Amino acid sequence: MIRVVTSEGYDPQEIQRLCRSLYTAFGVGCESAGQVPLPAGLGDPLDARKLIEQVQPVRAYADDKLLYLTGKKLKDRELPSGTAPTLGYALYGKDRALVSTHGVKNWEEGLRRVARHSLHQLGHLWDLYHCLDPRCSMYPPWTPSFANGDAIFCSFCREKSEQKIRLAKS
Amino acid sequence: MADSAPQFSLAVGDRVVYPNQGVCRVFNVDTKEVAGQRLTFISMRREEDGAVVMVPTTKVQSIGLRRLSTRDEVGKIFTFLKSESDKADLDWKQRARTNVDRMTQGGLQGLAEVVKGLQVLSELRPLPTKERELYDNARHLLVSEVAASLSISECDAEDAIDLVLSPPGKERPKRTAEEFKQIPAAEEEELELGGDILSLGGDGELDLPAEEEAEEAEASEGEADEEEQPAPPRGARAKGGKPQKETAGSGEKRTAKSKKPPSAPGKRTAKPRAAKHATAPAGGKSKRKVSAARPSKASSRRKK
Repeated sequence: MIRVVTSEGYDPQEIQRLCRSLYTAFGVGCESAGQVPLPAGLGDPLDARKLIEQVQPVRAYADDKLLYLTGKKLKDRELPSGTAPTLGYALYGKDRALVSTHGVKNWEEGLRRVARHSLHQLGHLWDLYHCLDPRCSMYPPWTPSFANGDAIFCSFCREKSEQKIRLAKS
Repeated sequence: MADSAPQFSLAVGDRVVYPNQGVCRVFNVDTKEVAGQRLTFISMRREEDGAVVMVPTTKVQSIGLRRLSTRDEVGKIFTFLKSESDKADLDWKQRARTNVDRMTQGGLQGLAEVVKGLQVLSELRPLPTKERELYDNARHLLVSEVAASLSISECDAEDAIDLVLSPPGKERPKRTAEEFKQIPAAEEEELELGGDILSLGGDGELDLPAEEEAEEAEASEGEADEEEQPAPPRGARAKGGKPQKETAGSGEKRTAKSKKPPSAPGKRTAKPRAAKHATAPAGGKSKRKVSAARPSKASSRRKK
């Protein structure tokens, strides 16, 4: 089960539409798990690494995946090879992912982008790595074409995620 | 029998890299009796999933077990990934062999070469399933080792790798077959085989033994589609006359012929039927090809 946790007030219908996109992509149930406050002292823009470690957990089963949505901007990460634009963050193979909806004014238009980023970060939770196919949601998210794509996986990533989900269920 | 001492000693708590398995941590070193021999085993646990691996100390070197890469080595990997390298072998067989070797040896540089090479190739055309899996495995091992070496999360490690492979704000370039074609041509010149090869078979056919042809045909069934696609330069050659006989791929031809001395051609060109079947379109079944090379009993009886 994917549980969507928000840090600010989102329209429940918007979250429901996002859940529908995630259900279509992964084939596992998805529902809203309410709202939690952001941890204090993270600064602005938010440090994604600290946020995901310090954010308040919600009640979930062991194999549930938690997707935290925040409207705040995330700070770009300084990495050994450069600065990575950060629109989300995930703990690979674990249970928490974070997506920022900063800059999305209109959900009618922005839903596709948010769903694509959510798919990307949730994919990392099921051990998916970045993909070579520009149409796939696992393509590196800072490329110009990423935001224009649909919230879908390529056949390789879809099969791999299905396999991981089956393994988790068994 | 006493164990010979390993080249480098491992102690409990050391982090090592097991080729094709990933980063492991040594948790025990003890001696056990196996089939009457006393052997010292290094027990390690894979960090990813906790799987336990036991390796005799005598085998540590031969399986390619090594210590975790240092920060400097990882820095060199970033430099390599950043370089404008567009080396991608269009000969699928050669490429597969090289990549498998790199994965088996388990070096960090080898993993980076697999990732870089396949990424460059994917800019020409989508990777076939097996290579896509290989790419995913190599990327997975590379990411986990970089993360372990730099003590960062896997998310940061993968993003650090992709920052150099696909820099922000840029789309990955599209490549054409001609760009890749230049590489094998240069290699052929280095080997000084070009002129001799053309004179071997006369018409450029593969002159392999029937068994080898059958094996190759079986192996290439899955790959034939993707290998035939980048053939436009061959189309240009087809204007000269015999396009249907050259579908095996120029790289394949080069490897096959480089195995044989120039004095061999006379013997081998006497198998035109088998050669034709080996170069048939991908739809054909390998059994048919084998039976064509070796006539069935029924057909031989009819001849009598």
